[in-house]
Amino acid sequence: MRFKSFCVTAIVTILGLSTAPALAQSGNITIWAWDVAASSLKLVLEDFNEKFPDIKVDVQDLGNQQVFDKTLAACAAGGAGLPDIVQVENFEAEIIWNRFPDCFSNLKDLGYTADIQAKFPEFKRTELEVGDVAYAMPWDSGPVAVFYRRDFYEKAGVDPASIKSWDDFIEAGKKIAAANSGVSMAQADFNGDSEWFRMLANEQGCGYFSTDGQSITINRPACVAALEKVKEMKSAGTLAAGNWNEKIQSSTAGTVASQLYGGWYEGTIRSNSPKLDGKWGVYPMPSLTADGPHAANIGGSALAISGTSENKEAAWAYLNHALGTNEGQVAMLKGYGLVPSLLSAASDPFISQPQPYWGGQAIWSDILATLPKIVPSRGTAFQGDADNIFKATQIKYFEGGYPDAKTALGDAAAQIASATGLPVAE
Amino acid sequence: MQLRNRAAYGFLAPYLLIFAIFWIWPIISSFWMSFQNTRVNPWAFNPGMNWGRLFSDPAFYNALKNTMIILVIQVPVMITLATVIAVLLNSPLLKARGIFRFAFFAPVVVGEVAYAAVFRLMFNLDFGIINKLLNKIGIPSISWFAEAPFAMALLIIAVTWRWAGYNAIIILSGLQSIPEDVYEAATLDRVSKFKQFIYITLPLLRPVILFCVVLSIIGSMQLFTEPFLITNRGGPGGGTETLGLFLYRQGFASLNFGYASAIAYTMAGLAIVISLLNLWLGREPK
Repeated sequence: MRFKSFCVTAIVTILGLSTAPALAQSGNITIWAWDVAASSLKLVLEDFNEKFPDIKVDVQDLGNQQVFDKTLAACAAGGAGLPDIVQVENFEAEIIWNRFPDCFSNLKDLGYTADIQAKFPEFKRTELEVGDVAYAMPWDSGPVAVFYRRDFYEKAGVDPASIKSWDDFIEAGKKIAAANSGVSMAQADFNGDSEWFRMLANEQGCGYFSTDGQSITINRPACVAALEKVKEMKSAGTLAAGNWNEKIQSSTAGTVASQLYGGWYEGTIRSNSPKLDGKWGVYPMPSLTADGPHAANIGGSALAISGTSENKEAAWAYLNHALGTNEGQVAMLKGYGLVPSLLSAASDPFISQPQPYWGGQAIWSDILATLPKIVPSRGTAFQGDADNIFKATQIKYFEGGYPDAKTALGDAAAQIASATGLPVAE
Repeated sequence: MQLRNRAAYGFLAPYLLIFAIFWIWPIISSFWMSFQNTRVNPWAFNPGMNWGRLFSDPAFYNALKNTMIILVIQVPVMITLATVIAVLLNSPLLKARGIFRFAFFAPVVVGEVAYAAVFRLMFNLDFGIINKLLNKIGIPSISWFAEAPFAMALLIIAVTWRWAGYNAIIILSGLQSIPEDVYEAATLDRVSKFKQFIYITLPLLRPVILFCVVLSIIGSMQLFTEPFLITNRGGPGGGTETLGLFLYRQGFASLNFGYASAIAYTMAGLAIVISLLNLWLGREPK
């Protein structure tokens, strides 16, 4: 017996030693991703294959919902049918890790060292790591900024540099609407999304859940103040109704003067409204008070390696090239406007270059400068529950179903507590 | 047990086995699941978690309200329409009857995804044919997907379009089983066609119509595809979220199987109660 087990150990050791380096150099890997993210993964392939000519990468663009649905189904089936790499949206990430803790590999076993981890900001990593396990590597992020039409602002005599608080934003909106007929200041999707509240609340350091994910914080004063301000902007006519597609249509048709979104919205504006070349600009998001915080995050994704992948080393090599190097992340920024969350990318020469579409403004240095100031906002495994409850509460609050924002969010907190079993923070 | 019985059960065994695994077991298992807290790992027994939440959850009441609105408006409208279509299809004056019957039955044959996509295009705000036609007669464009009452109307129109013909064919078969001589006698007694319809056709059709109503109610209770695909997952702002969609979202988007099971049992209970009520209301007069 002893001899036998020794033999087995020896063979395994020899095999292990001889195959591990070879694995890193060759093999086929498959990736599930969506839209411009999938396109940018293909974009970095050329550089990657110069370094690793024998690794063949197949990027499959399945669409956002499909990737999430198929990943959950595959994880429920013990990982059968998963590709080597899956794109995971940050705020949905914890739904997967919480329910299926063994579905994805711990990247720390593959070479995701503390040094590499430190290259990414804290707020991007919160949802991707559980205890000692790092399930995914941060990709792009969504530092929030105001995208605005220079010509509409100029016609109303509004200097964007003077807009420091949301009250300034409301005042500017009145002037802009008066000077440009048929133009609204900005748009929000009150029926299908919660984007304005989430951006303003995150700016004020508040979210649905505490950073440790153990309690509900949506009824905190900072969140209440954010919701009050959103309602004020809706009542003042600053915010017109518009879902994702309507926002794009209005931007292209020239019936809206500003849009508030994550940096990744740059690519959306640039590719949908090529004729408005030179008319758009960017300025930092206003705050509740002029000297308050001016940074928030919305959206952004990560890449994870499946537990059943037969080519984890090759998959890791690709991940580290695409997301862990300046050349990979900056190429995706140039091509499709995906904002790198890699901190060192901020010092790439491209970042400080003036962008012709944006009227010669060096928008990326402006947008990326806010990255280190963003407060982490935890999605948790209950993000979907909380967001649905909040959206219904917001509609009811706007329709006058609650006396004030504090009562509204108190009710939302109680509902989230009964849906998740988590306590409401004191 | 007799040998004959044993042989019979032997032949039935494959079916019974599949029935037990894929029907009986899930029914029992989801009943048990509805008493579990499925938000923690591992699941814990906590009957108040799901059942307590259900009766105080505004989102559940919203879905219930939407389902009831569809039920109360769509089912009567559709059955009335189906009866009228059936009578017209049965008319001896009608030429090319086979083609008409097929035409009215055809919507059921069309795939749900395909018809949902076509409805989305037809009711599009800016370039949909419905708004173009409304504009022609002087009515301003309606934003069908952005306002809850219109989105609800759209759902009702879509479901009625799809199932009215199907019900009409069932009612038609009922019409054809009414003997001709009853009408002949009535005509001899100078009873008008309309009165014949009210006093002869409708009472004799009662069992068939009742059958259609019960089927439609169960169908409406489970309505899922249309609000999922046409009004984009129960939009705007949950305005068309049905119980079926609510169940799906809790189970497969939030992965809260315990709560989803409690909703499923509530839906099944409601369907049974409403169907029994129907049978009782529509019972043969003594």
